[in-house]
Amino acid sequence: MHTKRRYSDLIPALIFLLPGLVLFALFFLGPMLYSLRISFFDWKIVHPDQSVFVGFRNYQRALSDSIFQRAILNTFAYTVITVAAKMILGLGVALLLNQRMPGRTFLRVAYYLPVITSWVIVSLLFEYMFNGQAGLVNYVLKDILRLIPKDVLWFADPILTLVPIILLDIWKGIGWAAIIFLAGLQAIPAELFEAARVDGANSAAQLRYITWPLLGPTTVFLVVVLVIGGLNAYVPFQLMTNGGDPMDLTHSVLTLMYEATFGRIDFGYGAAISYLLTVFVFIVSLIELRLMRQQAV
Amino acid sequence: MNRKPQRNLGTLFRIVILILGLGFVLLPIWYMVVTSFKPQTMIFELPPRLWPQIWTLKNYIAALGKDQFGLYFLNSSKVAIASTLLTVLISSMLAFVFARLHFPGKETLFYIFLLGMMVPPVMLIIPQFIVAKWLSLFNHLGLILVYTTMNISMQTFLLRGVFENVPRDLEEAALIDGAGPLTIFWRIILPLSGPGISVVIINTFLYSWEEFAWANVAIKNASQRTLPIGIALFQSEHLTEWGQVFAASLVALVPVLVIFIIFQRHFVQGISTTGLKG
Amino acid sequence: MKTNRFVWMLVSLLTVSATLLAACAPAATPTSAPATEAPAIATEAPTEAPTETPEPVTIQYWHTHSDPETAQLDQVIAAFEAANPGIQVETSRYAYNDYKTALLTAISSGSVPDVARLDIAWVSEFADQDALVQLDGNLPDFDNIIKDTFPGPLSTNYWNGHYYGLPLDTNTQVLLWNKDIFEAAGISAPPATMEEFAAVACTINRSAAETRYGYAQGGTYFWAPAPIFYAMGGKVTDEEITTATGYVNGPESVAAFTMLKDLYDQSCMSPNLLGGGIATDAGHAEGTYAMIIDGPWMVDIYKNNYPDFEVNFAPIPTGPDGTTSSVVGGEDVVILEGTANQEAAMKWAAYLLTPEAQKMMAAVGQMPTLASLAGDPAMPPYFAVFQEQLKTAQARVPHPKWSDMDNAINNAYQRMLNGDQTPQEALDQAAEEINALLQ
Repeated sequence: MHTKRRYSDLIPALIFLLPGLVLFALFFLGPMLYSLRISFFDWKIVHPDQSVFVGFRNYQRALSDSIFQRAILNTFAYTVITVAAKMILGLGVALLLNQRMPGRTFLRVAYYLPVITSWVIVSLLFEYMFNGQAGLVNYVLKDILRLIPKDVLWFADPILTLVPIILLDIWKGIGWAAIIFLAGLQAIPAELFEAARVDGANSAAQLRYITWPLLGPTTVFLVVVLVIGGLNAYVPFQLMTNGGDPMDLTHSVLTLMYEATFGRIDFGYGAAISYLLTVFVFIVSLIELRLMRQQAV
Repeated sequence: MNRKPQRNLGTLFRIVILILGLGFVLLPIWYMVVTSFKPQTMIFELPPRLWPQIWTLKNYIAALGKDQFGLYFLNSSKVAIASTLLTVLISSMLAFVFARLHFPGKETLFYIFLLGMMVPPVMLIIPQFIVAKWLSLFNHLGLILVYTTMNISMQTFLLRGVFENVPRDLEEAALIDGAGPLTIFWRIILPLSGPGISVVIINTFLYSWEEFAWANVAIKNASQRTLPIGIALFQSEHLTEWGQVFAASLVALVPVLVIFIIFQRHFVQGISTTGLKG
Repeated sequence: MKTNRFVWMLVSLLTVSATLLAACAPAATPTSAPATEAPAIATEAPTEAPTETPEPVTIQYWHTHSDPETAQLDQVIAAFEAANPGIQVETSRYAYNDYKTALLTAISSGSVPDVARLDIAWVSEFADQDALVQLDGNLPDFDNIIKDTFPGPLSTNYWNGHYYGLPLDTNTQVLLWNKDIFEAAGISAPPATMEEFAAVACTINRSAAETRYGYAQGGTYFWAPAPIFYAMGGKVTDEEITTATGYVNGPESVAAFTMLKDLYDQSCMSPNLLGGGIATDAGHAEGTYAMIIDGPWMVDIYKNNYPDFEVNFAPIPTGPDGTTSSVVGGEDVVILEGTANQEAAMKWAAYLLTPEAQKMMAAVGQMPTLASLAGDPAMPPYFAVFQEQLKTAQARVPHPKWSDMDNAINNAYQRMLNGDQTPQEALDQAAEEINALLQ
């Protein structure tokens, strides 16, 4: 039953598109192009016309800089760990919350609470909790659980610094992933589960043969969005490492970009770094979509 | 009959895990609440306590008493509400085009919009400021427009899914009656997409309420400042007044919480209508 | 359905009107908040005959003052405006951590404030970017104004042969010592020499029952060890700023850092400086840190947050050659290139350096840069020890690449504390890195 188009689509489309397009062009596309342009220059901020064209030198400088490479490593490790944890724990929470139980609304709101907190505030909060000399975490680990002999100076160690940062992201993101999984779960018709139960399938089998495949698109969406978010991590890194402390070893790619731009006033270099990241995010997203689409078949 | 004990055990197990998880989730927030009632002298007490030895309201009084706090609160509300409404309007218009209308290059245009989801806002602050200056769009208007722009991509993507899932029968009927796209949009698609729009509302409100980097540069008058800027001003160069920062942040959390509670009923349903299912 | 439609129409109507209303509000409205000035908007009025009163002008002044300082600044503005009818001063206050970002964003878009209060370490950097107006030769009466300022703070405005700012307020760091803890450990006076300092730090640390450190530093960035570094004769570069070899890794510098490293290894100095520990201000007030080195702002901070704590100041202990020193901090006032009101801006900047303005700001802890005000009875009493210290305090290297040099020393300090390198090795590497920056 095919509808013949009763109206020409182009004019109404233009009208509907116009406000969004204008805003997007002005405040997104334009700035993106501007950023791209200055990444090829040694940019002078007061007299831009005096900027020197340097071609790809900013890009080369970034790629060969050991601090940049370390930032990539940090960002990458952070992304992999947090995305995996949020997916697994989020799914777990969603499965648990998918039952009719008293207080379900309360539980949902509670689990979602971290999501609506401000990144700035909770970064400070975790920095406070992981304080090396008077922090809650050290107190619990050392004096209550007796797992460590003496206080750990979390933020003094280039690798241990990542622990509160990663934990913060996981803590803040589980609820978000859970709610999305929950929506996906609720869209699975209950009859499928009934039929499976009648056929003798237990919970594990139901999970494997019904839930998981039907959550496909939800999973794809989550992975893509979470990875983008992970690679673009900025606020927790900036606030908890104060820009790469110790010794510039704890940068994320974006804190490095921020330092180059607003710390060293090297706008061209900062733009190059951010473009490298954007291209990488784009490629990764494409690969994910392709891989997961193949799997669904 | 013999399935009952097993099911009960399973449910009990679930409840235990959920409660443990809840502890993990709520502990940091609880700690923040508790700290907001501690005097500055107890901030680094040893051992750290989850229940204040000394309670004080001084942090709240100082934070809220700063005569600008109410003003910042109002500013943030105004900006967040306007951004949310504008985003809902514009992204639903865009989503409608992508879900229902056809024209050459539609898919390509859609992917261009998706780019917005991949780029971190902090990367674009300077050129956005240049555009804002060129158009004299500072303070609240500048905030609203940029917040909307940065949210369009994700919300359009979500709403496109929602609109695609709206059943076509009403539309078919309307088309036969000679309805144009505007009518279809206004009277059929939008009203049936309430839950999906709730999702957009929550997302955008949250973003606008806590955004900092753009607000820092785009707000030129102190009277126009939003809450995140106000809270940042508690941290001076030499001292972080933790108690006040947390007190102010908890108060700032309330509106978002309220919005979420109001719309959360539709939230899960809304996400499922975005088509992220099988 | 009908209600839904109505609701949506109302909603979009509201959105459109909200946006329109916001758009119609003038972009540069005068504020209604008490913290800023300018009750009447007065941009360039049409030019009148030259013999008439000057056109009314509004200038923008950006700063990072705290609340009490801002309130006092308003008084200064009121006095200035009374003496200069026709000029209005509008201020914008920024949080310290985000100030540089706001400034750079404004500069790169060409919409700069007229006058700004800058950290002294940023002046040469901004001047090198051509963002500041050269003041010598341009600011009326410049030579007379600077005659009365302290040389240390003044030197922070000098770059490439010219002056790009005026020293607005200055400060330095001195020793803070906890009298009660000292007396409990049997020590009656603060250490006078570095040797005594190291000994006292360890004595106090070992005599305490609970966790206590004789000394704590705020971090490993150069500002933290700088007073001890300078007091012990350390230098970062030569006078002409051409090389760091023999200076930052010279014997005095190495000796200073070696002393600090020893204190750290023996647990006499708190490990908080590596990051994420108890802050020095809080730790000092609570008795965890017997001594810290910090600035005059601590008086107000302690008054507001630790009212029961009695703060005691003492000069930085003397180094091997018997002299003390410290590091100069403070702010300069600069005029941004691209300002449309240069004349009015210069009047405001010059006014901030008059004895009246400096005395008013001194009441809220802003130490004047005018030598003639040293020892003036109008100054708060606790200024005395700082102003005495300022006589021997040294400025950090006034170079656009200073933050990278700071970083080099910062990293070197970290490496030696972690034991990755000896102090000599770490500073040798820092010297190389700094030399590369001086090319």
